[in-house]
Formats: sequence, C-alpha cells, structure tokens
Amino acid sequence: VNALYVLFKVAGADYAVAAADVVQMESFTGATPVPGAPPYVAGLVQIRGRVVPVVDVRARFGLPAGEHSLDSRVVVVKQGERVVSLLVDSAREVLSLDPASFRPPPELVVEQAAGFVKAVAQSGGRLIMLIDCERVINEERRQ
Amino acid sequence: VSGPVDLREFVAGFLIEAEEHLRVARANLLTADEAARRGEASPRAVRVLFRSLHTMKGLAAMIGVEPIVDIAHGMEAVLRAADRGSGELSTAAVEQLLAGTAAIEQRVRALADGKPVPSAPPRLLVALADLDAESMSSRPPPRGALSLAPELDAKLTPSDREQIRVGLARGERALRADFTPSPARAEQGLTITTVRERVSAIAEIVKIVPLSLPQSPAAPGGLTFVLLLLTTASDEAIAAATATTPHELSPLAPRVESATEATAGAGAEAPVAAALASNEASSEDLADDPRVQGGVVRVSVERLDDAMEKLSALIVTRFRLGRAVTALAAEGADVRALRQIADEHARQIRDLRAAILKLRMVSMRELLEPLPLVLRGLRAATGKRVRLEIDAGKAELDKAVAERILPAIVHLVRNAVDHGIEPAEARRGAGKPEEGLVTITCFERSNTQLELSVADDGAGIDREAVARRAGRPLPRTDAGLLDLLALPGLSTRVEATKTSGRGLGVHIAKRITEELGGELLLRTTPGAGATFTLRVPLTVTIVDAFAFECGAQTFVVPVAMVEEIIDVDPARVVSPPAQRSGGRHVSLIERRGEVVPLVGLSSLFALPEGAAARPKAIVVRRNGEPFAFGVDRMLGQQEIVVRPLEDPLVKAAASPGVTDLGDGKPTLVLDLFALSSAIGRRRAEVTA
Repeated sequence: VNALYVLFKVAGADYAVAAADVVQMESFTGATPVPGAPPYVAGLVQIRGRVVPVVDVRARFGLPAGEHSLDSRVVVVKQGERVVSLLVDSAREVLSLDPASFRPPPELVVEQAAGFVKAVAQSGGRLIMLIDCERVINEERRQ
Repeated sequence: VSGPVDLREFVAGFLIEAEEHLRVARANLLTADEAARRGEASPRAVRVLFRSLHTMKGLAAMIGVEPIVDIAHGMEAVLRAADRGSGELSTAAVEQLLAGTAAIEQRVRALADGKPVPSAPPRLLVALADLDAESMSSRPPPRGALSLAPELDAKLTPSDREQIRVGLARGERALRADFTPSPARAEQGLTITTVRERVSAIAEIVKIVPLSLPQSPAAPGGLTFVLLLLTTASDEAIAAATATTPHELSPLAPRVESATEATAGAGAEAPVAAALASNEASSEDLADDPRVQGGVVRVSVERLDDAMEKLSALIVTRFRLGRAVTALAAEGADVRALRQIADEHARQIRDLRAAILKLRMVSMRELLEPLPLVLRGLRAATGKRVRLEIDAGKAELDKAVAERILPAIVHLVRNAVDHGIEPAEARRGAGKPEEGLVTITCFERSNTQLELSVADDGAGIDREAVARRAGRPLPRTDAGLLDLLALPGLSTRVEATKTSGRGLGVHIAKRITEELGGELLLRTTPGAGATFTLRVPLTVTIVDAFAFECGAQTFVVPVAMVEEIIDVDPARVVSPPAQRSGGRHVSLIERRGEVVPLVGLSSLFALPEGAAARPKAIVVRRNGEPFAFGVDRMLGQQEIVVRPLEDPLVKAAASPGVTDLGDGKPTLVLDLFALSSAIGRRRAEVTA
C-alpha cells in the first residue's frame, strides 16, 4: 500500500516528509526573528492565525545559507502537540511511494547527517531522503 | 438625618442599573415582536418590560433626569394598556417601544459621558400616547377561561388568562398546586421561596395566590399558597417540587367563557397594578431568571482588572520568595518545610488566578442578545424574509474576547442576509421555504477554544465569480475561496459587494479572529448556503503596550513595565571601558541625578544598527535599580492581545509572547524586566 510524501529541495538534494505530518505549505515572505532562539530558527510566521516557528533547513543541516526566492516554501508539520514549519528552497511535488522502498541509510551517512535522514528511497532515478522530522525540530541537549 | 448626598455615586449606580434594565427591555421587546409576528400575545414579556421601565423611571426621577422619566412614562402607559388587554403588542407598538428604548439608551450614554441630556423627542412621546389611546378603545376581552374556585378566578387578570391560553395552545398543561408553609417545613428548607425556585426550574409560574385558611395542624399559619403553573413536567415532578402528592394537583381545564367572566375580566385592572407594585409579583416572574436566582453581582471590568493586577504583584512576590528559599538552601539551611509551604502557596495562587479568570467569563447567550435586533434591522433594510436561530448553549467566553468578536459576528450575520439569503421569489424557484434562515451556534470546542458558526441557507458563494472579481485563479478549496474573499482589495470594489463579494465583512472578521489567535473557516455549497466558523481562544491576555522600532524590527513592551521613555542625547552617553562585556556594550546616562546603565537593544539582539535621528530609551526599574534600553523610534501606544510563545524552539526568556499589530505578522512582546536581570546575571558571571 503506497503512502503520500511531500517532496522538497534543499541545496539541490531531494528530501521527503510523510504527507500525513504536513499541515500545509505556504510561500515564504519573511519571518520575525526571535533573539535568543537557536541559530537555525529563522523566526516566527503567522499562518492562518497561528504563530509558528520556522526552522531554516539549510542552517539546520549545516549547509551554506541560500537566497530566498519566489520558490522558497514553508512546510508546516505537526509533531504531536507541536506545529513547526520548515523553510526549504522549494516544495512542489507530492509523491505516492511504497513505504517499503525506503531503506535505512548507510551507517556513515547516519553519522554525517546527524540522524536527520531516517531512510533513503530511489524513485525515477532520484535519491530521496526521508527526514526525521522529530529530530529536525528538536534541539539536542548539548552539554 | 440629612447630609450632603454625593450625586455622582447615585449616577454611577443608575448607569449600571439602567444598562441592565435596557438589556432586559430589549430582550423582551424582541420576544414580544416574535410573538406578534406569529399573531400571539406575550403577557410575560409585557410585564417584565413594564417593570423594567417602571424601575428605570423611578431611578431616573430620583436623580432628576426628566427626559428619561418622560420617555419611560410614555412607554409604561402603552405597556400597562397591553397588560390590561391580553398582553398583545402590535408590531407598530414594538417599533415605537424599540425607538423609546433607543432614546433612553442615548440619554443614559450622554449621562455617562457627562454630557447634557437631550430632552425627550416630542414625536416619540406623541406616537406613544397615540398607541396608548388606541389600545384603550379597541381591546376585545380575551376568550377562554379556566376551572378555578371563584375566589381564585377573580384574582386572575386577563393577561394571566392569556398566558395560560397560550401555554395550553403550546401543548403545556395548566396545573394548580398548593403549598402550605409550616415551621416544620421551614426547618426542612421548604418555604414559598425555595418552592418557587424549585418549581420555576420545571414549570412556568403564572401566578402565586396566597389564600387564608382556618388554622389547623396542617396549616398552622392559617395560610396556603396556590401556585398556578404551566408545565410539560410530570405530576410527580411537580408534586415533588411543591412538597405535595400528585393527586393533590388539579388541572385547570379550559371551559367556555360566560358573560360573567367577561365582566370579571374587565374589572380586574386594579389587581394588575397592585401585582405590579408588590414585590411578591415581581419576584415571581424573575425567579426563573438565572441572574436573579443564583444571586448575581454585576461588576465593572476595571475592578476585575484591578484584582488581576494585584494578583500579578502577588505572583512577583511569590517568585522572590522562591529565590529567597533557594538562596537559603545554597547557604546550607534546611528549607524542606519552607519549600513545602512555598509550593503550596504557588498552587493556591494558581487556583486564585483561575478563579479570577473565571469571573471574567460572560455567557454567549447574553453576548448574542443584540443579534435579533440586528437581524430585525437587516430585515427592514433589505426587505428580505429571514429569521435567526441562536443556539448558544452554556458556552462562556472571556469578556475581552467577547467584546472583540461581537463585531465579527455582526459582520457575518449582515453578510449572510445581504449576500447569502436570496429574495423570496428566487427561493421559491429553488424549492426552498420563502423565509430564509440564519443560524448562530456555538460551543466550547475544548477547554481553551470556542467555536462559533454563522450559517445561512442562501445561495452559497460562487467561486468562479469571486475568482473573476479578484483576478486570481479559481480556488480549489473553500479555504482558498476564503482567502480571496478576505482580500481587502476585493471587498472595496463596489460591484463585488453587490454580486459575488461579501463586502468588507469577511476581511474584518478574519482580522479580528486572527488577532485573537483564532481562525476563520468557510464551508459553502452552491445553492445550499454558506457557513463561516470562528474558532477563538476562551481567554486572552490583553495589555496596554508601547510599540517601538529597533534595528528595523518592531517590538512591543507592556506599558506597566515602563517607568519612563526618555530622549537620549548621544553626546551625553558615557561609555566605560568594555574589555570583558561579552559583546554587549553597557553605557551610562544620567537621569535626574541618578546614574542609569543603558544598553542598545539592537546591539543586545545583534540587529543591524539603525541610524536613529532622535534615539530614545525605555527605562524600567527592577528591585529599585533603573535600567535603560536604547531604541530607535517609538511608534505609539495601543491595546494588544498577547499570545504566549510556547514552542521550545522560541521559548526565549526575553519574549514571553507575540502579538499581531494588524499586519498579519507576529511582533515580539518583550519582557524588559527579564532582559535587564539576564544582563545583570551575565555581568555577574563575567566578574565571577
């Protein structure tokens, strides 16, 4: 049985998140910066009356900052009680995939990607990385 | 004993009472209007109206506001005549009485604003007098009578009879139940007052007639009360409520009225006036009004806010207590017992806070009371046939939220009638009832959220037409359609409001809900109608705040935190050496002989340094110590709705919440107290 995934691009790579976790997608017109928040938090946006923090996925993944364009999107995801949005370079596709086609990533990748990538699938000659939403939006305890 | 009387205090009391009486009057006029449209009488509403106006007249006379006395007097005469008749008010009479209520309200407002009170409009007084004269000449005696002992029958006024007739016609039963008070019963808590309360929960009390009896062990006081009731409850339930047995109840079966009763009816004017004057009668009708039954106190919002403010001070003290306990523990003292008390104390403060918040809740039913009046106006303005049904259940809402969403509801109802409901011919053609229906329903969706819907059974909203007007692609969902409808550009087009748009209403309703941290939803089916749903928080925190700009970003700070806003003369800012300040530069300024540390907010927040022509500083004081925050520009003062920032990613100490200043973007609410102590702490760490 296939499931739906929302695909998005960050620094040229394809990532996916389960469509069931996605509340909505909006174009990005700037966020209100929050002093004291982690550096990868772009700020706050208001979406349909709701105030949502924006995680800049480039910054989160340790990638160089990119220019925000008309393609930039915020993907609003729900994790339990929390609603957080992900700022990505673009998000255009919804893809139906067999969850079984996702394989655990090679050990080396897990380490390098700080656990942000949960699984990898191949589709139409592309590599699609399924992100671990929970990990992306939770600040790790740094000691 | 006579002394100087403070008239202002009387006036304040009058204003509060008048507001309540006006509210009651309006509600009952609408009931009478509904009844009139169905061709029914509304004796009960007429009486309550009469009493409200009568009281208001008396109060106004006491403080010498003649115009109100005059208007109330004219209205009272019309109502007295209606009561002597059968409690029937014509729509024309309702019209004039509504005008009278509005005229009184206007004068009450003038009084409240300390302005001169305009005299009573002569046209209105004449119209009221005409109505009175008309009803005197052409009121037929009511038909339909009851099987009652003659001594009781004589006590019934025509409007009592009409009330019973209407009740019977509605399918209720008319019953007589007797309650005989005694010391033994009083000991069990059974008095006429408690019986009245219990009965009014399950029946409509038409009248309570005290009858004297020969003294006996069963009736030691030589007195019994006859309760005449209308009810759909069982005999058992009524008997239980009146402390009797079912077979002691007797039905008041209708029988054909004879000529003698007609005269008895005509001669029954005096008892009405007497009943209206006596407390017994007035408490009888008010007994089932929950506001009276439960013992309700009306309190001004300022007093509640004041209590909340005092509580905030208590919470601050509580934090200090907590810190003192921690400090003691750090010195090695045994603070277990103390900590336990402090924890208990914190819990109690939380409970107290919840209790005060609860005091601010108003019932949605009460909030929505003006809506029928709005609909009445819309009906007259559009000539459309439409009725309004309200189901508010038991939902309650914080006063502050309630006041803010009421305009949104009014806009949505107006839209529904203006743009939703079709003219009668079109409805007939579509196979719908000619009379349109607008429904308002609301309920508490969760412990924190209220859901309110305004639905109409009109034509629905034409997506294509809206998209065309907006010059945008066809929305695929109702949510997309709502976004288009809410575009301010769309609503300002005149032709749009006539055909496909919904006027400015949707834009405003969306703004209001979103500023409150709620959302507006839409569901529409072509030909079947549209439903707008508001979801709003049950309570919000509203504070007075200063908005200011710093490093191209806008912030707000609660006025209560600010001691002063001062101009900063850059030439007079002293910069001490800053070798170990950790990036943040603390300067010094002098203010009235006091040395005040100054930190630029833009440097603190690492914002681009703005070139302010006339920089300002916001001065706060914590534990006696002043602290100044440099900002670029003050933008003004306004009331804001604070929404807490709860997500761990942004739960920064400096900003406990955000607000929407009306641009649809979050603006940070700064806690300058927390910021100043954070800077203090950081300094302490550096020196340590």
